[in-house]
Amino acid sequence: MEVLGIWVAAFFTLCIYSFLYRDNPFYRFAEHLFVGLSVGYGIVFSIHQGLIPFAWDPFWEAITKREFMGLLKLIPIFIGLLFFARVVPKYSWLIRYPIAILIGIGAGRAIPNVMDARIFRQVYGTLTPFGQIHAGALGFFEIFGAILMLVGVICTLTYFFFSIEHRGAVGGISKVGIIFLMVGFGSAFGNTVMGRVSLLIQRVDFLLSDWLRLI
Amino acid sequence: MRRQVPLILCFLFGIVMMLVEFSPHPISEGLRAEVIKWDLIIGPFALVIGVITLVHTHVIRVKRRVEHWQYSYLVFFGMIVMVAFGLPTGPKNEVFEWLFDNVQVPMEATMFSLLAFFIASASYRAFRARTLEATLLLVAALIVMIGNAPIGDVLWNELSPVGDNIPSTARQWILDNPNLSSRRGIILGVSLGVISQSIRIIFGIERSYLGGGD
Amino acid sequence: MLEKLMSIDRRIVFVLVAVAVIIPTLLKVSFPITVSQPTRSVYDFIDELPKDSTILMAFNYGPSSLAELEPMAAAVLRHCFRKNVRVIGMTLFNVGARLGDRVMSETAAEMGAVDGEDYVFLGFRPGGISVILGMGTAIDSVFDADYRGKPLSEIPMMQDVRNYDRIALVLDLASSATPEAWIVYANTKYKQQVAAGVTGVMVSELYPYIQSRQLVGLMPGLLGAAEYETLIDTPEKATAGMSVQSFVHLLIFVLVVVGNVAFFIQRRRTQ
Repeated sequence: MEVLGIWVAAFFTLCIYSFLYRDNPFYRFAEHLFVGLSVGYGIVFSIHQGLIPFAWDPFWEAITKREFMGLLKLIPIFIGLLFFARVVPKYSWLIRYPIAILIGIGAGRAIPNVMDARIFRQVYGTLTPFGQIHAGALGFFEIFGAILMLVGVICTLTYFFFSIEHRGAVGGISKVGIIFLMVGFGSAFGNTVMGRVSLLIQRVDFLLSDWLRLI
Repeated sequence: MRRQVPLILCFLFGIVMMLVEFSPHPISEGLRAEVIKWDLIIGPFALVIGVITLVHTHVIRVKRRVEHWQYSYLVFFGMIVMVAFGLPTGPKNEVFEWLFDNVQVPMEATMFSLLAFFIASASYRAFRARTLEATLLLVAALIVMIGNAPIGDVLWNELSPVGDNIPSTARQWILDNPNLSSRRGIILGVSLGVISQSIRIIFGIERSYLGGGD
Repeated sequence: MLEKLMSIDRRIVFVLVAVAVIIPTLLKVSFPITVSQPTRSVYDFIDELPKDSTILMAFNYGPSSLAELEPMAAAVLRHCFRKNVRVIGMTLFNVGARLGDRVMSETAAEMGAVDGEDYVFLGFRPGGISVILGMGTAIDSVFDADYRGKPLSEIPMMQDVRNYDRIALVLDLASSATPEAWIVYANTKYKQQVAAGVTGVMVSELYPYIQSRQLVGLMPGLLGAAEYETLIDTPEKATAGMSVQSFVHLLIFVLVVVGNVAFFIQRRRTQ
């Protein structure tokens, strides 16, 4: 079974790589089969590790134990079932109910937590080193780094501030912001190359080592 | 009924979720836990939409005989096989796991590894130092690439009389300084956007999630 | 000549990339790895944990980033099992369930760790942020059983772990925005220490959270995995992979330089 698995995996690996030459039936075969398997896999997990523990089990428990509080859990289950209204065009508007609840929950909890984690804590992180400078705890390079960070953050924010026309001093500051952004994007590109090549190395290692046993 | 009730539900759940985050009182903590449970229960049903949409798309492809329509049968085949083995027993089924390990994983991993070829080709054809901004991007990318590769430090230590591990140090400096500043600027900007959008959603100003129609 | 160089068939570049990977892989070339501070911080945090501490590892990746994150997971698991640090595994992605289960059970078998005592894999639950928040209140309100269906109440290592209070660290092995979700909802709300191991694509965007101490540390893609292997003195696939990676990086470096030189010569000629 293990050997068969390796050969099957190698076959599909080569089917996908055949796309490097050009689009062809082998690639399309693998691509479509992959989509089907992924969806099937998703269905199994959604049911076994989502709907059963979160909806079916509480439902069954509420029914068998006949507890009033347990029956309250039927309300979200019923709301969730409204997603199926999508298949009946006449009642498809009912799908807005569960979507509205999910979006409301998401928006409500985002406001305080995002404000704290991504605004206050980030501003705090930017300004903390200046307290340390004042206390004489930082060396020359750290002080330079702290100033550079503050300048970078202000300039980048200015670049994204579209309520004022980017001319004169604002234009100059936003141009410095672009410099920081470009270096940031450059570093992201460099790391992306590493990420993509890692995937290739793993597949080549599989073909040479597990399949062809050359290593 | 069709638009007003969802707007009211969104407002109520949004406000409750926001307020309970600020209050450590046991009642609000209990309410918060209950709302989270509702989210966990309702959420999985949303996955139904994805499956329905995909099946519908491929049924249409077959019906209309669009180019390569025959391959849509493979989508149905793959889906049915996985469900047939996984659904009765759960994901710990041997055949289900075998199909995942030896068919789904290799295909997805290989599909994404194709990007290594395309990124190399694109770098050669399009990565040009045409302007100051493009030059900065290019130089930063090259430094990070060489700093990431162990051979960068090895070559530097062998060939240069100045300093040790300079490529990886330079890479780290870029990530720790200019990269950090620009990313923080983006985080602050995006977060302000998230908060303002969330407020608009809760108060019913942003309604695009309701879709079209009445 | 110059125009030919500028417009070579992309498949020639593909062949060069393939050669740059295949030959060093066959030759088993190996270079030493320089360890970066963000990876060292993750290592130090785990290394300094008292015996029988518990960490939570979130396997939030799928096959598309398996190459980068599975070696990282294996290296951290080896370190934890060696240090008698208990590991709870879970995932917010359905594809992460099989991958997390596989790497945990294989590494545990190799290190002699016992399921339920030294590690447990809880599997997948849909809901993302609600799962993170729900676990803060009570883990068993989200995961009532482990991946194999054993109730949490019957798992020895889960007896004193009810929520984040007894979890020393959440390590998110991620291929998407989940580290930010852990930061925003577990770190901010529950003061839970969070570290991340992420794909190369995501590395740059998480640096602000290291400086603000919202992240304990950060492992960058395959390099992070190789660095961790170096720190635990067990070079494996990631270390070998990074050595091969060097040649492709050099190739792309040369391609970019050649492309630019040709571009500037051509531009000067046309001017």
